Amino acid sequence: VTGPLLGTLAVAAVAAADTVALAQTFLSQPLVTATVLGWLWGDLTLGLGAGCVLQVLAVTTQPLGARVPEDYAAGGVVGAGVALVLGRGHPFASSRDAALLLGVMAGLLASLGGMALARWQRRRNEGLARWCEAELRRGTRGALLRASWAGVALAAALGVSYCATFLALAAWVGEPLVHHESLRLARAWALAQPLWMGFAMAQLLNGFVRRRPRRALVFAAALMAGWLVRVLGVA
Amino acid sequence: MNGPLRLRGRELARMTLRTPLLQAAWNYERMQGVGWATCLEPALERLCPDARARAARLAEHAGYFNTQPVVASLALGVVAALEERRAAEGGAVLDGEIARVKTVLGSALAGLGDALFWSTLRPLAALLGVLAALDARAWGAVVLLVIYNAVTVTLRARGVWTGYRLGPALLAGGVRRRLESLVEWGSVLALAACGLLFAALLVPGASLPSIGYQAALVAGLVAGLFTALHPRPSPTQWSLVAGVLCIALSWR
Repeated sequence: VTGPLLGTLAVAAVAAADTVALAQTFLSQPLVTATVLGWLWGDLTLGLGAGCVLQVLAVTTQPLGARVPEDYAAGGVVGAGVALVLGRGHPFASSRDAALLLGVMAGLLASLGGMALARWQRRRNEGLARWCEAELRRGTRGALLRASWAGVALAAALGVSYCATFLALAAWVGEPLVHHESLRLARAWALAQPLWMGFAMAQLLNGFVRRRPRRALVFAAALMAGWLVRVLGVA
Repeated sequence: MNGPLRLRGRELARMTLRTPLLQAAWNYERMQGVGWATCLEPALERLCPDARARAARLAEHAGYFNTQPVVASLALGVVAALEERRAAEGGAVLDGEIARVKTVLGSALAGLGDALFWSTLRPLAALLGVLAALDARAWGAVVLLVIYNAVTVTLRARGVWTGYRLGPALLAGGVRRRLESLVEWGSVLALAACGLLFAALLVPGASLPSIGYQAALVAGLVAGLFTALHPRPSPTQWSLVAGVLCIALSWR
């Protein structure tokens, strides 16, 4: 377990740095982190089960202007991590579905909790910026790069600590639930998973067609075409 | 006698390489200010040989700045061109103009960049990634990364040069039109991806899912359209409530 655990923390560090502080290459997106975690823990199906739901929910939130969006980088790592920790080694579908439900719920909670952490980090960065300006005026070469890399390091360190704490807590709370209540939780997953997917897609749909209702025709045409292809394939 | 100092490809390349650090020290007071000055430093090292003058310029640039991080490279190129003019004209004549251009470009590019990257390309890449992940598993993440980064890396790599070449007239010409057209076509593609993903969820594999599953999917869609009319609670908060409700319903 040590290898996958350390790998999970490394993924948490990369995701936390990539979200805002460094490059924003989307390595922090839940689908990406869940795929890597699924591969690390040797259960891609479980990782992607949580990752797909969290990814679709993640795009319903927008990092516009100074608004602090939900932290789906942490949410993705925690969600897939919890699902994998709780569900690995379970042969029964009900236990795996229960782990998925708890994983996504933990991911949602982590992404909401991460907003407070992001605000705290931004306040800390104000001090860093003031220090940087003072050093610049003093003529210190390299102050800008040092301040920038300090910001990246702070983001990564916070991400690792936050995800590690959340993972440990969620696994501790979730383990007995998966053992004793897996049937009920699996029923809840069968209901919640399609509900979340439909809900998130409606949010996106609304965003795209709000000012141009005629665009809804594109959605309808693609839906019909996709449905026909799939139904004919099934038949 | 030496001619005016001009920026070379080397400085523009170093600026480009630093653009990933634009938001490294993002904060409420100056937002991207520190990152902006970090990116501009290679240009000022060339244009301001005097250490004291350079430090003053960098401290000035480390003040407030904010825009969408990918399109910021265009603004960096424009401001580098203005700094070059300032150095050639030998004084603080252009200080006001540089500050004004930063403000105008910052907000204009933020509007375009937010619409293109956060509201269009991100959903498009995510939807196609999830669609691929449903069938092709690990390829979903690759699809997401390739679609998003194909656009962002190209713009980041060429943005500083384009901004430097076009100067403050950047948004008067074809760049704005091209970005707006990308938003338009990206939105149409994202809607098509949304429809395809919904169809893939309705008919996920070799057999049709249960009526209960399909009903929950449609119920989610209807609830989502209804809740999208109000900004609060956020979709994440609604999703959490929906999860708790599903657990409560299953506990009976």
